[in-house]
Amino acid sequence: MTDAATAGEPLRVVIVDDHSIFRSGLRADLDPSVLVVGEAADVDSAVAVIAAERPDVVLLDVHLPGAEGTAHSLGGEAVIVGSAGTGTRFLALSVSDAAADVVRVIRAGARGYITKGSSGADVSRAVHAVASGDAVFSPRLAGFVLDAFGAAAGETAAVDDELDRLSGREQEVMRLIARGYAYKEVAQELFISIKTVETHVSSVLRKLQLSSRHELTAWASERRLL
Amino acid sequence: MAVTGVAAGLAEHLGTSAMRVRVLVVAATLAGGAGALFYVWCWMFMPMAAGEQTPTRRVPVAWLLICGAGIAVAGVLAAAQQDAVVRVDLPPVGPLGYTWVFWSTGPWAWTATMAATAAGVWGGVIDRVDPARGPRHAVVVRVLAVVVLAVVFLAVLPLGDVRGVRAVLGELVLPLIGAVIIAASALLQAWRQLVDDRIGRVREEQRAAMAAHLHDSVLQTLALIQNRSGASSEVSRIARAQERELRAWLYDGDSPADSDLATDLRDYAGALELDYPVRIEVVSTGTSTERASGELAAAAREAMLNAARHAGGEISVYIEGAASAVDVFIRDRGAGFDPAAVPADRWGVRESIIGRMRRSGGTAAIRSAPDVTGTEVRLSLPTGGRRD
Repeated sequence: MTDAATAGEPLRVVIVDDHSIFRSGLRADLDPSVLVVGEAADVDSAVAVIAAERPDVVLLDVHLPGAEGTAHSLGGEAVIVGSAGTGTRFLALSVSDAAADVVRVIRAGARGYITKGSSGADVSRAVHAVASGDAVFSPRLAGFVLDAFGAAAGETAAVDDELDRLSGREQEVMRLIARGYAYKEVAQELFISIKTVETHVSSVLRKLQLSSRHELTAWASERRLL
Repeated sequence: MAVTGVAAGLAEHLGTSAMRVRVLVVAATLAGGAGALFYVWCWMFMPMAAGEQTPTRRVPVAWLLICGAGIAVAGVLAAAQQDAVVRVDLPPVGPLGYTWVFWSTGPWAWTATMAATAAGVWGGVIDRVDPARGPRHAVVVRVLAVVVLAVVFLAVLPLGDVRGVRAVLGELVLPLIGAVIIAASALLQAWRQLVDDRIGRVREEQRAAMAAHLHDSVLQTLALIQNRSGASSEVSRIARAQERELRAWLYDGDSPADSDLATDLRDYAGALELDYPVRIEVVSTGTSTERASGELAAAAREAMLNAARHAGGEISVYIEGAASAVDVFIRDRGAGFDPAAVPADRWGVRESIIGRMRRSGGTAAIRSAPDVTGTEVRLSLPTGGRRD
């Protein structure tokens, strides 16, 4: 999944985070294959920078000032909604690795999620994955997805494109990711190709974004910080 | 009989008896009123002893006052009846200008008004915070006091026609003043309540603001330290431990710290991260009723310790609580080892993990080989499986 970027031009990235220390730290830490073309510290400036730069990927903090009292009270959500139509892909960054807020941002349109404690190499890898259209799931997010779709309770989709439940294969993939397996290892374990793993993960992401399961909406609206 | 506990508190502070303080206060009150002022001042400003409940008074002061007021009201009514009759028939004689001083409404009305006002204020201000009485009692006392005042007023009112308004003016105005005082004390109470509520709300807001601020600044910085210093460095481990502590402190109120399996393994992971250069992520799904004290938890802890000791680096722990069984996966990314080649004297794996799981009715499987990355221990315990 990294071959698209290592070969050609570096990926153009915008970092949106209200912490200048964090932004400069991340900027210094990213791979040379990722070029930071802009930074923003709040919702309005983020929407402006994204519209001006049209980056490939936006590294987006989930909690961002400037969205209080608007329809999308979570900063990250507001940026994605505000940047609709730019064709940019979003990777959510969160300091609290609980999935609830992350799910809100993903439902707004982010393609994946990574914790702020991750190393620069990990973030760079996730940026490449998102840029090439893949979804990025952390073990914790996978665990949340299993819970939210009732997989742990034994619910399985009867047909693959059912939105409110996961298919058997999707559950297996999510379970392995929750157990700490990388996509490659998941592929080995299930005797399928990496491409197939990515397809399953993208399909789960789509369900996460489109499903109207009560658990998803309730979780997303109930919890605020953790 | 404690009134507000001022005397007792002073006595304790000065090392003398409460009775002696009371006698002194009463004496000072009689000699010019300084004692009463001092007493009220102390009551308002002296802090409560730490951990002390609001005192409960054995003597129902408010009810005694109401009773007194009731008796006086009877006097007012009787006197008003008598006064109306007597006044017309008999010319005023005697030193005070009344034939029947005893039958005058004046003293009765004064007594009733004073007692009722005192009862209303006492019930509203002092008894209200008394745990044995409370707001309901205050309302009842207040209503009764106002009723008494109204009766006095209405009983005296017709006498104005007989004796002239000027003669009974004092007896008419006094109950009104009493009613105003009772109402003022009630308003004061409500106002105090309002202020307390507002202080509480401001505190809550401050706490939330502080949590948000710490979340935005300190937690972010700790995260940054972790990602800049490499997952297994000393600095990163300290930052991670601090982050965990701060998070627990900030959000403790939100989630009760019941000791289920996931919480227990998370705590244990935190402890291991301090002792070993590892980073452990614990993910749990489903609802697990497995106790933290169970054999499964003990085996999982042992497996985590093994992983931390021998593999280091990143360790993933995944707990899945299904209806039929609870599974725990512990995976590291170390060099791996051949379970068959583990020497018989290595009790860690053989006894603490495999043996323990078998004895409790579950299973343990260890998957590791030199050619794949890491080792994975899978523990499974059927729900309702044999325990002990």
